[in-house]
Amino acid sequence: MELTRRQLLALLGAGGATAALGGCATPTTAVDVGAPGFGEGARGTVEMWCRSDTVNGVQTVVDAFHAAQDRVRVRLTPIQNGQYVTKVATAIRGGRVPDVIDIDDIYSTMFAFRDVFTDLTPLVEDLALGDALSPGHLALATKDGRHYGVPFLGDFSVLFCNTELFDRAGLDVDEHTASFDGILEAARAISALDGDTYGWSYPGNSSGALGFTVQPHVWATGTDLIAGDVGDQRGNVAGNDALRRTLDLERTLWQEQLVPPGCFADDASRWSADYVAGRLGMFPAGYGIVAPNASPELLERSRVVLLPGPDGGRAFFDGGDNLCMPQGGKNPEAAAELIRFAVALEQQTRMPDGFYSPVRSDVVTPEFEAEHPLVVPTLRSLDAGYAPTTLAYNLIYNQQDGPWLRMFRRAVFDGEVDTAMDEAQTTYDRILRQAQA
Amino acid sequence: MSAARGTLTHPARTGLLLVAPAVAFVVVFVMVPLVSAVGISLTNLPLIGSWRFIGLENYASVLTDPTFWRAVGYTLLYTAIVTGPILLLGYALAVVVRANRRGATVLRTIFFVPYVIGLTTLSFLMLLEAQPDSGMVNVVLRGLGITDGSTAWLVDGPLASGLLCAMVIWAVSGLTMVLLMSGMQGIPREVYESAELDGATWWVRERTITVPLLRRTIAMTVVLSVIGSLLAFTQFYILTQGGPGSDTTTVVMAIYRRAFVQLQLGAATAMSLVLVVITGLVTAAQFWLLRERS
Amino acid sequence: MAVTTSLPGTAEQGAPAGGTRGASPGSGSSPGVTRPSGPERDTRVRRTLYAVGGVLAALVFVVPLLLALVRAGQPGDVVVAAPDGRFLDLSWVNFRLILDQPEIWRGIVNSVVVSVSTAVLTAVLATLAGYGFAKFGFRGRGVLFGLVLVTLMVPFQAILTPLYLQMNAMRLTDSLLGLVLFYTTVNLPFCVFVMRNAFESVPGEIEDSAHVDGAGTLRMIVSVLRPLVLPGAATAALYAFLASWTEFLGALTFLTDSSLYTLPVSLVNLQQGAYGQVDFGLLAAGSVVAMIPCVVLYVALQRYYVAGLASGAVKG
Repeated sequence: MELTRRQLLALLGAGGATAALGGCATPTTAVDVGAPGFGEGARGTVEMWCRSDTVNGVQTVVDAFHAAQDRVRVRLTPIQNGQYVTKVATAIRGGRVPDVIDIDDIYSTMFAFRDVFTDLTPLVEDLALGDALSPGHLALATKDGRHYGVPFLGDFSVLFCNTELFDRAGLDVDEHTASFDGILEAARAISALDGDTYGWSYPGNSSGALGFTVQPHVWATGTDLIAGDVGDQRGNVAGNDALRRTLDLERTLWQEQLVPPGCFADDASRWSADYVAGRLGMFPAGYGIVAPNASPELLERSRVVLLPGPDGGRAFFDGGDNLCMPQGGKNPEAAAELIRFAVALEQQTRMPDGFYSPVRSDVVTPEFEAEHPLVVPTLRSLDAGYAPTTLAYNLIYNQQDGPWLRMFRRAVFDGEVDTAMDEAQTTYDRILRQAQA
Repeated sequence: MSAARGTLTHPARTGLLLVAPAVAFVVVFVMVPLVSAVGISLTNLPLIGSWRFIGLENYASVLTDPTFWRAVGYTLLYTAIVTGPILLLGYALAVVVRANRRGATVLRTIFFVPYVIGLTTLSFLMLLEAQPDSGMVNVVLRGLGITDGSTAWLVDGPLASGLLCAMVIWAVSGLTMVLLMSGMQGIPREVYESAELDGATWWVRERTITVPLLRRTIAMTVVLSVIGSLLAFTQFYILTQGGPGSDTTTVVMAIYRRAFVQLQLGAATAMSLVLVVITGLVTAAQFWLLRERS
Repeated sequence: MAVTTSLPGTAEQGAPAGGTRGASPGSGSSPGVTRPSGPERDTRVRRTLYAVGGVLAALVFVVPLLLALVRAGQPGDVVVAAPDGRFLDLSWVNFRLILDQPEIWRGIVNSVVVSVSTAVLTAVLATLAGYGFAKFGFRGRGVLFGLVLVTLMVPFQAILTPLYLQMNAMRLTDSLLGLVLFYTTVNLPFCVFVMRNAFESVPGEIEDSAHVDGAGTLRMIVSVLRPLVLPGAATAALYAFLASWTEFLGALTFLTDSSLYTLPVSLVNLQQGAYGQVDFGLLAAGSVVAMIPCVVLYVALQRYYVAGLASGAVKG
């Protein structure tokens, strides 16, 4: 019997579509991490993926894990940052997932939201740390009250202050970093000290770095640039007063030449160069940006405070990594054991050795503070840490052609603050709408 | 020619069996996805997670998406820039090698080798030579005194595009050369000789004899060249990743990003189908423009 | 037109392809042998022009490739430095690195496996189908052949996403087998076309007399017709190999396990710093390794290659 060509095509098309669409609902039996006896006798190999940016921190933990026991071995694969989301997503769709992934906490939202990670709430509850475990990290992997990731490694944005320059200008760090007025005053004073000292700095051409260090000024007032719950979000840009005042501050700093002229084209490839050379009074950045490059003397002379809002309040970007278990991994028991190990006090205490921050505040003891003073301020105020929970963070804040960078540059360097904000509002809305479709 | 309906020596069923595997491949891996593409484009299918039917929403959002149209515009611009030079350079090379002079075969091989090597590998090599200070492009320019040799070609949209277009023209002209050359060699000498006797110069002979007789071949070459340009991806991915920002993002790259970075397969499929339509329109326009006029 | 995908590396290029439909006037099936004397008369002026023009053009085409060879011999830090005395201090250091660095080495192996398999599979299937279409009559022959050809019009970039989903559902993503099947499909239309032409030009008497001798279909192809169709099959295999060797978008999309990456994808990962600090010398050497088989195969089998193009250009 010969089918007509049309019939044949229709049949095959239907078959193909069904197969293709059907292939997306890969039913995997959910693992219950909290089940009694779960994880006992865990052994074998754990497949772990990590960000290539943080591979050192992860490797340290893995090495310690291997030294502490010999039942479980970890096979670590670093994955380049730019490909991370793609690789994880295609692995999940292809049904060949690693057991554990160390994932940028900002990205854990989009996966948690799509129900492809194992529920790790029992692990978190076992730690019984409450707010001592970075709430910002956790929020990014929480859906409907359940946690789909465990905080692991911290990369917080803070304000570095060169106390020597502050002293020379006769300023007080806490007082003059508590509000925008204070910052402006301090910046003026410090810039006036020398020909090549400046009060402040920002990488004006790096979207991600700006998102890391500028947004906390807005968050300190309790608002964000994105409003609404995941899945139903829109931009909160136009009319956002805290944002307007933040952009005004940055603009003023630029106009009065209180920031190095290189800020215009700075893409954060050598971000800490000015501060490390001792030329900056205040430097919004992260511990991992400054500490590896700065001399011990400079670090001694530095203090770290949180980023202020216009009239007070403090906030910081709660960046870093979460550990998550994709559903369908082959060795969930050993994976859970590794996660427990990684977030335990001992490992977290050693985080600053790799220039990362711990994610639990109970590591702070007098000894710890004496050894890593610059890491402590954020740990003391973990609840001031925040990162936007959204599916579109990457598209809005980490793209060189994204609306965030465009708005910043237009407002700060071109001086058109209102237009910039209105334009950004439209783009934010469009991107969020697309991402939530 | 081949036998009519199945004969004793060539039974019909054997014939079917012989062609079946190839046909099966084509049906399974091309036809079926093509048909299911339509269905998928009407959903919000994400790379992971659940999906639902959303009708023409994807198309509405794609057709009003400025980033999509910017990619289309850039791709059309790129196509417009490279098509002419590829044809002209290929034609010129064909003129050089079509005669049976000494070394013509060697030249033909040389001109064609870049094409055989492929744009993928050539892009990697170009990557090395476009580096500031050390890349040959900059070294030569500095040697000629035109620049100071520190241009970072690949981080600037127009500069990267220019370099990339030059590379593509250089590489692909070899293919045009071969295609045109086969055609040229089929034109009998006598036609040229009699024209020459009538006092026609080389240029006139070319214009009145070669080009018209090669019309169909030239037209086909151009049409396929344009289609290939509209679908360009590899060299952009390797050299600029579509950046800075999305300054050098082509349509196929935009589709790839939508599918595998933004994880939205439904929308990306809708974009692909819009691309098919655009390609079809451009091809139809070319056929119309290049049609035979008696 | 998917002919652009079936020619070596043309999948995403602005490249015209061999399956052109325009018939060039009268040009026979001469497999690229230069005809005696083109339209120009061989005056001295013309000869000088030819010589000068030819040499200049040749330089433009050859020098970049020679440069690539030089770069492959330079250690990474020399490649990224402004040219100084070390420019021509060539060594094998990068190639040794390739042997030590598993990612590139694996990429080479995977590429070889995939390209050779594709070449073989394509040649076999195209030969069978070409024979069937050329010499056998059966109901629907025209339709099926048209189907195969219509595929030439469908660029795979347009069906990338549904194809990805489908391959996923068929468990063919993240597998070299899947990639081979995909590449074969992409190359089949053009190669079937070429093979059909090859078979059509075989006189019927040969088959008839073989039948009299009792030859079955398989023996017919393999023994009897082989010397006549081997050139066509070689062309098909060559095209398929070259197309698969440098193909990029498909490999990027369908492979996620880094141990399966083909050479182009490995090189891209190297370049984007996925394997640590970018060693441009290694990248150069990897590119040269990618280059060599193409050049060698083409130069050795030029005849077949150009014959294929001519066949497509003419008989279309």
